[in-house]
This record gives sequence, C-alpha cells and structure tokens, in this order.
Amino acid sequence: MNTMINMDPWGLLDAMLGVSEACKRVKARAAGRFPPVNVFLDDNAAILDLELPGKTAKDIDLTLEAQAVVIADRPALDENGKPGTPAWRRRLELPFRVDADKANAKFTNGILRIELPKAEAAGVHRIAIAG
Amino acid sequence: MNTAENYVVPSATFTEKPDGYELKVMLPGIGKGDADLHIEGKTLTLKTHATHQAPAGFRQVASEFCMSNYAMSADLPEMADPSTLTAKLENGILAIVVGKRPETQAKKIEIA
Repeated sequence: MNTMINMDPWGLLDAMLGVSEACKRVKARAAGRFPPVNVFLDDNAAILDLELPGKTAKDIDLTLEAQAVVIADRPALDENGKPGTPAWRRRLELPFRVDADKANAKFTNGILRIELPKAEAAGVHRIAIAG
Repeated sequence: MNTAENYVVPSATFTEKPDGYELKVMLPGIGKGDADLHIEGKTLTLKTHATHQAPAGFRQVASEFCMSNYAMSADLPEMADPSTLTAKLENGILAIVVGKRPETQAKKIEIA
C-alpha cells in the first residue's frame, strides 16, 4: 500500500532555521505580483504600511472608498499619451468607515504609510413607523 | 553572500555593463545615515542600524513584510576597480556602481 505524505518542505526548512511567521510572508513579496502590506489598528484609526522601494508619490494611485482603500500602480503614459495598464492593484477593506477629509499618505524611504481615521459615528436616529 | 546574525539579507540585483557593474539593493525603510557600507580589498560589506518603526499604540493585525535590519557581504568581480565605487541611497534602494579596470575593458584593434 502506498501512503501519500503531505509535506511542506519550505515549512520544515523555515522551522529548522527559526524563521518567524511574519518573515515567511517575505515569499509574497518575492513573488513580485503586488506590494506587501502591514496593517495596524487602534480604536480610532487604521494605518497601512506598503513596501514600495524605489517608488514615489507620482508612481502610485490611491483611492478611498467608504470602507476600503484601493492602491494601484500608476504606469507611465504610452507613445500616444494614454496611460498603460497598471501592473498591480490592491483593494483593502477596513472594519470601519473612513473620514476621507482626515486621511493622509506619505512616502518615507520606499515605504508608503497611509493613515485612515475612523469616521465619527452617525449617531442613533429614531424612525417613526407609519400606519 | 552571507549575513550577520539576526539580520535579514536584502534582495538585490546585479548587472554587468561594458564598462562596469551595478548592484541595486532593496532597503525599504532605510534612509541615509541608517546604513554603513564598507569595502576592504574586494569585499563589500553592508549593514543597517535602523528600521522603519511600527506606529506607537497600534496593534498589528496583518503582517506581509518584516521591518528588519539588513546585512550582507559580497566580493566584487575580479575585473572591478574598487577605487571607482560610488553608492547612492534613495527611496529605499541602494545603488552601488563600480567601474572595470581599464586594462580589462574591450578595445578596438585597427587592422592595418
């Protein structure tokens, strides 16, 4: 009888070398398909750090939705002056609605930090029932 | 390349051109003054001593990359001329350029 053993050789190697769980995610970056992100939360805001070495503000498009943020590559214009296809795009949903007026983003040494304050609660409204 | 203990080896690309070499090392989160680059003979050594910091008072809920210090050492190719080495750190990328020794570069020979 043949027995199939499901093994994760990279997991075994990582365990032997003592690689932390966080550092294993370096593999996502190594795949090169999209920039990796670290997400931090407190009661009033979310902070996203994206690893984008070599990039500056002119290379990235940042769009805010009510409860999500979209980060995308901004390609150079082609010979006809039209924008090319973005190489990557990430949409990250948040656990709360964002105050767009107070959101900000800044590049520092190849890391894009996006600060997203929580929108103030709309409050409680009583709804009258007709009939 | 080898690494010092408790440091991460950074990603890098190495390109050879007709008149020299270029090594681009990815150091996201590292600024000028945070990295030390030394050359001894043909051995290049890089070590950083500051990292991008997590925001104070926040809890981390997703982690796709490490905020770590970097270290690496590498020997330059035999044809490299260390006296021409320059390095520039900008936007988290360290670009190291070194020329080839003049006597090793290709020369056109005129045919009489």
